[in-house]
Amino acid sequence: MPNLETDSKLVTDEYKYGFETLIQSDTLPKGLNEDTIRAISAKKNEPQWMTDWRLKAFRRWQKMKEPKWADVTYPPIDYQDICYYSAPKRDGANAAAIDEEMARTFERLGVPLHERNGLAGVAVDAVFDSVSVATTQKEKLAELGVIFCSITEAIQQHPDLVQKYLSTVVPVGDNFFAALNSAVFTDGSFVYVPKGLRCPMELSTYFRINAENTGQFERTLIIADEGSYVSYIEGCTAPSRDRNQLHAAVVELIALEGAEIKYSTVQNWYTGDDEGRGGIYNFVTKRGHCRGRKSKISWTQVEVGSAITWKYPSVILEGDHSVGEFYSVAFTNKKMQADTGTKMIHVGANTRSTIVSKGISAGHSRNSYRGLVQILPSAANARNHTQCDSMLIGSTCSANTYPVIECENESAITEHEATTSKISEEQMFYIMSRGIDEESATSLVVNGFCRDVFKELPMEFSVEAVKLLEIKLEHSVG
Amino acid sequence: MTQSLQSSDVFVASLDAARFQDLETAGATALVREKRKAAFEAYRALPMPTVRDEEWRRTDPDQFRIADFQWLPVLPKRSAPAGEHAFDASFDVVVSVTEDGYHIADRAGLLAAGTIVVADLETAARDHGALVSAHVQGPALIEGERKFTALNGAFWNFGLFIHVPRKVEVPNGILVRYQLGCKGSLLVPKLVVVAGEGSSAKVVEMFESGDDKPVMCIGVRELYVEQAARLQVFALQEWGRSSFHIGEDWSRVGRDAQIDWVTLTLGSQASKMTMGCDVSAPNSNAYLSGLFFADRDQHVDQRTLQQHTAPNTYSNLLYKGAVKDKGHSVYQGIIGASPGAIKVDAYQMNNNLVLNTGAKADSLPGLKIDADDLKCSHGSTMGNLDPDQMFYLKSRGLSDVEARRMLVLAFFEEVITKVPYAFLQERVREDVNQKI
Repeated sequence: MPNLETDSKLVTDEYKYGFETLIQSDTLPKGLNEDTIRAISAKKNEPQWMTDWRLKAFRRWQKMKEPKWADVTYPPIDYQDICYYSAPKRDGANAAAIDEEMARTFERLGVPLHERNGLAGVAVDAVFDSVSVATTQKEKLAELGVIFCSITEAIQQHPDLVQKYLSTVVPVGDNFFAALNSAVFTDGSFVYVPKGLRCPMELSTYFRINAENTGQFERTLIIADEGSYVSYIEGCTAPSRDRNQLHAAVVELIALEGAEIKYSTVQNWYTGDDEGRGGIYNFVTKRGHCRGRKSKISWTQVEVGSAITWKYPSVILEGDHSVGEFYSVAFTNKKMQADTGTKMIHVGANTRSTIVSKGISAGHSRNSYRGLVQILPSAANARNHTQCDSMLIGSTCSANTYPVIECENESAITEHEATTSKISEEQMFYIMSRGIDEESATSLVVNGFCRDVFKELPMEFSVEAVKLLEIKLEHSVG
Repeated sequence: MTQSLQSSDVFVASLDAARFQDLETAGATALVREKRKAAFEAYRALPMPTVRDEEWRRTDPDQFRIADFQWLPVLPKRSAPAGEHAFDASFDVVVSVTEDGYHIADRAGLLAAGTIVVADLETAARDHGALVSAHVQGPALIEGERKFTALNGAFWNFGLFIHVPRKVEVPNGILVRYQLGCKGSLLVPKLVVVAGEGSSAKVVEMFESGDDKPVMCIGVRELYVEQAARLQVFALQEWGRSSFHIGEDWSRVGRDAQIDWVTLTLGSQASKMTMGCDVSAPNSNAYLSGLFFADRDQHVDQRTLQQHTAPNTYSNLLYKGAVKDKGHSVYQGIIGASPGAIKVDAYQMNNNLVLNTGAKADSLPGLKIDADDLKCSHGSTMGNLDPDQMFYLKSRGLSDVEARRMLVLAFFEEVITKVPYAFLQERVREDVNQKI
């Protein structure tokens, strides 16, 4: 009998999402070989072309080496010691109870799966370990011609779209983790917005890792057809466990002529404890492709979780007059390590990009910004402005900035500015002289520091992000 | 044994164990032999850099075809200076170096009076053993073991040691002039400058060769600025267009001391330089400036390191570059703050002019901060000349070329005027002019 109680002992003040949902799972044994991949593919009833595609990716991966250049250190990952597929078990009689338990879990995470409770303007796809458990508002969206479903469903029902666009932005052999993801990805979201439609609601995916020793391999593909607009939100949490878990995702965004995609992330994976035990390894490849003229892709991310974050949401600005944006807040505390930033590759003429990155390091953490701005010879009148600021709280953390700017066109202009400093004593003094305690004062200053990024988030998310940062800052002062 | 070592890739061209053995047995002073030996061991142990190393990604080490060049035997002392220049008169001491040897001209009698030391390394090791021992391959080498720094330490064929003792001022400065005239020369110069407590000195280095006579230079400088001293160093690199330059330069600035270090890179086919500065004691100040201009198919790679290893230290860096035709420039800079280096104020600015499509400029400013209470920032810009300014000048009757020339010179003027020698300023302006 599955135990339907949730285990609360993993929850702390600081990380209230640390609980575990105790349910029986349908899990593949640990290990990775071609049979694992065939088994995943079979579990998901995938057509043959998909299985072959995965196997090709796997063979490619086997020949690749794990990259070592990032400014992060971690013990070697044993890829044979990870379980690559875990799904809540739905066996006949228990199905209703499981669904109920899932709903309760997501309710507790603040993600309503029942449409009547849902925020009117948001459609949610909930991913639990390796599978998508529910997608809300589907019918309403379908009426408008928007396809919003799990990638598994898309492979079965919209194979033409998937085949046309999958891995056209992040090629299978792009990097070690992208190849691994291509071989073993289990679920994620698929979005297609038809021509000329301004998607009336926010689309959202909530990723939850529950099972132990399980890696989560998310694959998301978003296509905005000509002249359309979509705003997509992503949230992530996991139970507090003392073993590291791997989350290796690939996200591809494609904006055709005149289309705009806004992609927002609040990443709050479990960070590990004060001694650096446990936590998620978040090794992610996110890339957008402005394919058409006047298209726009905007990434906004708030990174407050994960033991190690390693991600560079990028934009390839191919269409003339296309726009790329990257707004990021990365907060590290305890023994967290973050190596994050962006790449803006200017191919088309009159392309513009803006990068605003705010890093806050506290405790014993390492926080690095790594970025590339590349102006190719064809990118006449390209324009880039980069601002990256780091704030240090405490003397045992470190903040690094490694930007790369390459310019091959005479009419392009790029500007890059970076600062690193301590939280301003003057500002602290001013606030505290008004009777506000040190912790609240720090929180106020930090919020002000991040304001340029927070204001880019959708409204509810922005409120959430401010609160989240407040909680994370607790106990980091003094 | 020697055979097998020669065939491996640890040795650069003919600079191998056999060559070293000859050099070592020929060496006169035990201290010099010892220093060379230690460097040779490091050189042998280090792998050759490849394009896969982050630092060399943008400058393929294979383009430095060291095997095509002939290592010059240790340069002898000459009795007469080579190719005197009118500007020699602006200096107190003039050291001229050619393939045939070196000559030290004591124009103000400072050497004869024993006020300062300017001597080849062998002589200095004999007469000032303790100083040489403490400073050659000394604590200024902050970046651990590096192939070309070690190569230079083992195989330098011209070593110059300058010591300005406590409270001594060298009013007109010291000029070190390298003029190579033979095709295929490989010069490995080593320069060590020690500015003693409270002293003040200026050192100018000039590198010249003909455009049609390719030469190669693998140089290392070590600059020590002791308590409350002030050292100004200017290097004008004007090697001919077919030549190659690898430079790894290090400085260490002491308490209340200041270094002004200007690097002007205009010549050579390809150059790869590292300028590392250890801002090592409270209230030490480092002002680093650079000017580089790559036109036609020139390649310039400059890497700077402002390493703050003590609290209450200050550094300010300004590197300005231009690229034209198919020129490619790389600027890589790091501001580092070691743990505990608080109250640091560091700034780094890199401005680039990309004068036409087809040229390429890369800028990699960086911050590596391991302390909290400090202010470190950097800025980097890229772009062409301001069209409004061009329009303004042209509307005043200037031709397109004249207007461009004026604006490019104006862009560089901030760096050029940091050099306190009028003849040098003029020379740099002339070089820049010719490139436009």
